[in-house]
Amino acid sequence: MKSKLLVILSVMFILAGFCSLAGAADIKLGSLNDMTGATSDVGKDYALGIGEAIHYINDTGGINGKQIKLYQFDYGYRIPEALTKYNLFKRLKCIAVLGWGTGDTEALAPTVARDKMPYVSASYSGHLGNPGKTPYNLFFAPDYSTQARGLIQAWYDNVWKKNKDFGKRNPRLAFAYHIAVPFANASVPAGKDQAKILGFDVGPDQNVTLFAIDTKSQILALKDFKADVVYHSNTVMSVAATLRDAYALQLGADHLIQNWGTDENLIKIAGPAAEGAYGCAPWAFFGQDAKLMDKVVEYAKKYNPGVPLEDRTIHTQQAYASALGMAEAMRRADKAGALTGEGILRKGFETMSNYEIGLGMSPVTYTAKDHRPMSLVPVYQVVGGKFIAFAEVDMKKMYPDEWANKWIGW
Amino acid sequence: MSTTWLPCGDYHQNYTQDHAWFQTKFIKSKMLALMIILFVVLPLISDSYLLSVWNMVGFTILGALGVQLLIGFCGQLTLGHAAFIAVGAYTSTLLILEFPWPQFLIDWGIAYPISIIAAAIVAGIWSVLFGLPSARVKGFYLILTTMAAQFITVDFVLTQYVSQIGGRGQAFSLPPGTIKYGPWVIDTELKTYFMMIVLVLLCTILMANLLRSRVGRAWVAIRDNDISAEVMGINVVKYKLLAFFAAGFLGGIAGSYWISTLAAISPEHFPWFLSLWLVGVILIGGVGSIHGAIFGSIFMVVVMEALQLAIMPLADTFPKLLIDFLFIKEAAFGLAICVFLIYEPNGLAYRWWQIKNYFNLWPFSY
Repeated sequence: MKSKLLVILSVMFILAGFCSLAGAADIKLGSLNDMTGATSDVGKDYALGIGEAIHYINDTGGINGKQIKLYQFDYGYRIPEALTKYNLFKRLKCIAVLGWGTGDTEALAPTVARDKMPYVSASYSGHLGNPGKTPYNLFFAPDYSTQARGLIQAWYDNVWKKNKDFGKRNPRLAFAYHIAVPFANASVPAGKDQAKILGFDVGPDQNVTLFAIDTKSQILALKDFKADVVYHSNTVMSVAATLRDAYALQLGADHLIQNWGTDENLIKIAGPAAEGAYGCAPWAFFGQDAKLMDKVVEYAKKYNPGVPLEDRTIHTQQAYASALGMAEAMRRADKAGALTGEGILRKGFETMSNYEIGLGMSPVTYTAKDHRPMSLVPVYQVVGGKFIAFAEVDMKKMYPDEWANKWIGW
Repeated sequence: MSTTWLPCGDYHQNYTQDHAWFQTKFIKSKMLALMIILFVVLPLISDSYLLSVWNMVGFTILGALGVQLLIGFCGQLTLGHAAFIAVGAYTSTLLILEFPWPQFLIDWGIAYPISIIAAAIVAGIWSVLFGLPSARVKGFYLILTTMAAQFITVDFVLTQYVSQIGGRGQAFSLPPGTIKYGPWVIDTELKTYFMMIVLVLLCTILMANLLRSRVGRAWVAIRDNDISAEVMGINVVKYKLLAFFAAGFLGGIAGSYWISTLAAISPEHFPWFLSLWLVGVILIGGVGSIHGAIFGSIFMVVVMEALQLAIMPLADTFPKLLIDFLFIKEAAFGLAICVFLIYEPNGLAYRWWQIKNYFNLWPFSY
């Protein structure tokens, strides 16, 4: 009898599931996050930031008075999971999505274009910056390719030119990243192109997985190559592991790190091995003096009191940038009476010209022909266990022709 | 003998009767009803989300059939099936993107169907390569050699070499309109669904036919006792390799189907976890049964999605439920395997068999 009751209850539960629909919120927004997968080392803080940012937006008037209802899911960095979640968002009548990784964002790009679903990702792959190919994909950061070019340029101008070997031989650059992962390898072709422009000798790529804890063989290969500088495009855990091994084996090279490897945890995990490393950080670090930072800290305390503030990272601000940018696009579309997927894109995002989000970010500009929101690459260096501003490189100003004609969609 | 109902007992007089597909009119009607549900009712009542769930069930079935064949029918333990699905997906993609098809074949929409067959054959041959160690090792050791398939195929060959073809980097995307059957461009969830149903039916029929042939009986004999099978004159190595080929063939079809769901692939689509997941599917569905692969796939995909939807109304009160659901899902996956191994080791297929018998033998089901 008991088992029959259990079966009946289970069936009712499942049927209730398939019949369930979203509540009566005004504007529905989906969010895909990685809390458990390969990029969860940086994804957890980003996910917390998305939730807090939506609370902040709703508390400060929402979308012209309408509240946002957020559906936030962990997809574990698994593409099949991302696909079903995206379809679930459509069923829930979400009008836009805040996405996460490069693999799933690029894989979903044709689908979101077909569905006219604005998709603001935490992937800043250069491939997503060309509206001719991926019209509904957007992001709020310098794209990975621009970051790679900017970091290499900054190192060349500010470090190599002061080196005693400058003018005597070519500098030697190598790339350390998870070759199988589209996120990690997205910027590598652009980085190699920039190295070619500046006259680097490029060494063999080193495959460092996102889960790497021992990278000694890769470091030994870099030592054989006598690398002057190594470019890292993984997330922070594996970058820290690589820096530690480079320090232990006295590689003697400088390190350039893409934004997902540049956070407060890098210094905590790598310790002295992080000293001197250069990283790209297009947002203010957590708690740093910047517009809106007081609200970020306040909402972090209010909605996630179980996470100590000293454990929060720059990825919270990244999440705010995506959420605030999306909200602004929705507000503009709503004012224009076009709060639809196409309206949010055309009347929202593509009307942003030098739009200031705050949080230490460069102004954002989208046009119908270019979805690269910014060209400025802020470079920081770890000095005395802290990130210190090192240089700013504006790739558009420095290479106007290439920026306009050649580099879009790289 | 009645042509409508089977009598209580087995009164077949020859193998033809014993192995007939539709033994009674009732079974024929049942199958007809199933076809109507699959081809008419489900597409009519499903929105794009539900269609995507059915498509995921179909992909899981296509993947699990190969694992079922190897583990359930031939006794060859495998944890590398995702690699063969990946080979199928990449073969199909590369054939569509890179092969110099005559224009009329592209216009007639034949390129993709041909690429599915080619992908299945290539994946089958690739699977045989990793099946070779089965001639010398079995059990736990074979698991390790099949795991090597994942690392060699996905992490090394596909990532380092195959993905570089055409200079695209790791992510391949198929331009709109390239996946098509004749005049039908596969560009919506509904079209993908119909394609999935046809592929699943064809693969299920293919596998069921194989299993009732000499080859299938040889596989079962090897599974039950390989030494006895050899004594009976079965060429054990040959049939083991044939099982690997057939499993890879089915995996290749699964991979080819997968590219139609997203029109893009990268090595990330085929993690080692997928192989583990497929083994979990057949453990829950029932090892050694085609029904097991189907029921296990439905359970693992539909029940998990339904659970997620069911908790959605609670998310207003407990907002962390949604973001933490993957933890719940992973835990449910592990728990389901434990529960099934302890309380229902023969899986859902056995329960289905019991239910069928209850009705077939009614009112003398005791």
